[in-house]
Amino acid sequence: MSTLTFPSANSRTPALGSLLAGPAFTAALYFLGAEAAFLIGTLSDRIFAPFWPPNIVLFCALLLAPPRLWWLYLLATFPAHVVAELGVGMPMPQLLVAFATNCAVALVNAAATRGLLGPLPWFDSLSKALLYVAITAVASPALVALGGAFVPILGGGSVYNYWTFWVQWCLSNTVSILALGPVVLTWLSDRNRPAAHLSSGAIVEGALLSAGLFLVCAFAFESGKGAVADGLLPAILYLPLPLILWAAIRFGARGASVAILVVAVALLWRTLNGPNPFSADTPEESVFAIQAFLIGVSIPVLLLGTAIEETRRAEQAVRKSEESMSFAAIAADLCLWHFNYRSDQFWITDHGRRMFDLALDAPVTKQSIIDAIHPHDQPAARSAIRSVALSDRLIDTEFRIIRRDGSIRWVRARARADRNARGEKIKISGTFADITTQKAAESELAQQRRDLAHLMRVSMLGELSGSFAHELTQPLTAILSNAQAAKLIMANASPDFAEVAAALDDIISEDDRAGKVIHHMRGMLKKGEAKFEPINVNDLVGSTLRLLNNELIARRVTCDCNLTKELPPTSGDPVQLQQVLLNLIMNAVEAMHGVSSSRRIITIRTRTLGQGKVSIDISDRGTGVAPTHEHQIFQPFFTTKERGLGLGLAICSSIMKLHGGTLDLENNPDEGATATLVIPGEDVHLVS
Amino acid sequence: MSFVTFLVDDDGGVLKALARLLRAAGYETRAYASPQNFLAKYDPALPGCIILDLAMPGLDGLALQQELAEQDPERPVIFLTGTGDIARGVRAMKAGAVDFLTKPVDGTQLLAAVDRARRKDDEARNARANREGFERRIARLTPRERQVLDYVVLGRLNKQIALALGTVEKTIKVHRGRVMAKLEVRSVAELVRLTERAGLGPTR
Repeated sequence: MSTLTFPSANSRTPALGSLLAGPAFTAALYFLGAEAAFLIGTLSDRIFAPFWPPNIVLFCALLLAPPRLWWLYLLATFPAHVVAELGVGMPMPQLLVAFATNCAVALVNAAATRGLLGPLPWFDSLSKALLYVAITAVASPALVALGGAFVPILGGGSVYNYWTFWVQWCLSNTVSILALGPVVLTWLSDRNRPAAHLSSGAIVEGALLSAGLFLVCAFAFESGKGAVADGLLPAILYLPLPLILWAAIRFGARGASVAILVVAVALLWRTLNGPNPFSADTPEESVFAIQAFLIGVSIPVLLLGTAIEETRRAEQAVRKSEESMSFAAIAADLCLWHFNYRSDQFWITDHGRRMFDLALDAPVTKQSIIDAIHPHDQPAARSAIRSVALSDRLIDTEFRIIRRDGSIRWVRARARADRNARGEKIKISGTFADITTQKAAESELAQQRRDLAHLMRVSMLGELSGSFAHELTQPLTAILSNAQAAKLIMANASPDFAEVAAALDDIISEDDRAGKVIHHMRGMLKKGEAKFEPINVNDLVGSTLRLLNNELIARRVTCDCNLTKELPPTSGDPVQLQQVLLNLIMNAVEAMHGVSSSRRIITIRTRTLGQGKVSIDISDRGTGVAPTHEHQIFQPFFTTKERGLGLGLAICSSIMKLHGGTLDLENNPDEGATATLVIPGEDVHLVS
Repeated sequence: MSFVTFLVDDDGGVLKALARLLRAAGYETRAYASPQNFLAKYDPALPGCIILDLAMPGLDGLALQQELAEQDPERPVIFLTGTGDIARGVRAMKAGAVDFLTKPVDGTQLLAAVDRARRKDDEARNARANREGFERRIARLTPRERQVLDYVVLGRLNKQIALALGTVEKTIKVHRGRVMAKLEVRSVAELVRLTERAGLGPTR
């Protein structure tokens, strides 16, 4: 909604031509206004007009002009005033006083409204409209009329009639400002509003209304004479009222003021020209009555129009904000809902009905929403609803819904309880968002990460195939030797059966050992989701080192273990955690490639940190991490190895994150580097 | 003293099984889970052979072989390996290994290798005993007789020896007779052979 701001005192001085255009135009309008006033009619002195537009012209001009140029406007209107008043034969002293009071009322109105009401528009706020009426229709005319009353006196009126003249002058200005002021001011404020056009229907309605008003006025006044005698005058006077109210209700303050203008002009003209419809003794008395009537009707109607306009604007603003909110919600693929505890009613936007695949006209209840939720997710959803009711926090939860066609969608719900002043929960408000595509992308990402980790595992297994072969060879050797020993014993004349039984027992346990190696290898080759199970970190370190035993011997690396007994219980995916350990130990081995074999020592330490956390430190005595690489080592595809892919540490890091743990790599103070794994305790929530 | 098989393997299961096999074949067997353990209790005086796993943490088979070569060069060593590491096998054989067997090792192969090792050990022990006997006999010689022996082995005539030692041919003849008697040899050829085998060159 745009506002018309008045030019202030320090506005830039315009060129002379445009500087004078305003005052000249004002002067012309002032003159035309005066002529119109005379045309409508003057009182018996043929000079004093009960409806006087020039003051409104000057008032509006002063509103538009910067205050420091006001003198120019007053100066320019003076000749127009002189010409108009001389035209009706007004003597000079009277003319000068009339001009002074006209200027005074316009100045007081302009200064007071500018100061107290601020920028236009004024007729969309009841308080502003009230203030406008108080200033321009009451205070200002009452004040200036103290001087204005001298105009008729100077024209030959009796000084004893001073208060009559005061009332006449006052009412004349009040009627003018009420009938004409709002018309001009609403037009001025609408002028700068881009979309203030009336629809064609409204124009037709306005035209019909105006014509109706004229007809009613004409009928009322023509039939007035007889009616007065019958005591029907009040009824006839109020004949235009329904039309005025119609205008106020349909067109707000603008319609009200135009209707009042029409009635005022018609009434006054009819009263002052031709036979007096009100059969008062003098036209002055009739005019006084009409003015009183007009003021009495126009002020409430004007305020009514303003109030209607204000309400309509407020409604529009609410509708607009609702529209923009619902647009924003739809654009974000959100649906809005709330659930009222007292009435047990559930409200949801149409977008939400479509999301849940509910009929647009069917009633929605809390139960129908819960019924749509996937059975597996219903307990979680119910507990989320309970926690919303208990806390003031925003609850954020995700669940699946089953649509009528059987398709499954992921929905994210956020909700909060609204409470009244006493802290009682009234309703839950929230949003639903369809996150199916996001979920699909997440699961695809997780799948890719799993694939990559698996690929790295397989490739590492290839590198360690010698170790695995060795791990299998040992039990096979033991089995074969035991079997052959048993055979030899049996070939004896007096076989030692106890020894044979011992050999067979050993065969069984060695076979079991070989089976475990194969099972282990199969686990590493297997591709699948992470399976969390209780893990003994020390055992994990031991089994990893057994697997690497051959590799460590071949590369002449000694492993020094410093394991803390009785670690707190931890859980994780053994295959993935072993993959991390294998990767880190092999990194440590490779880091010591250039170091003399007596110093190729890896130290593995397990420790208990606070909060049930367990850490594994793997230290080498190799070259360490170059300072320039410190920030890159966990980046995918960063490698310092000649044939490395640069994925090892990145994958290890993501595996640790999946376990809710961390992986850090730091140089030791003396030589080499230490990789530190932290695994959270078993009770810590795992991001699976 | 009976022949002992010394078994060194870091894998408990394998160690136990091999020991059982060797014992079943009638060998006295001593099993050690680490090279350090073995060295601490090793008695070079016992006849026997060593069966070593090539890949062991700390001190591996080859390093142990080297260590043994310094104090007991004749001891026969049989290597076992989990991986068919040819390069290390060659090194082991060059360093004097009797055999190099790949796990899982066949019992007959292992026993055959142990048998070969026993024969080698026997020979070495016999040779050593002979050598030691000869050395004991040489120690009985007087310094003069020892000088004469050196010249005799070089193939000098009595006259030449007498000239070199500044004495007469007759004296040399007596010395020579005593040398032959003390060393219990009947011919100069036998004398030369024995001194060669004992690695004794002229003292000059």
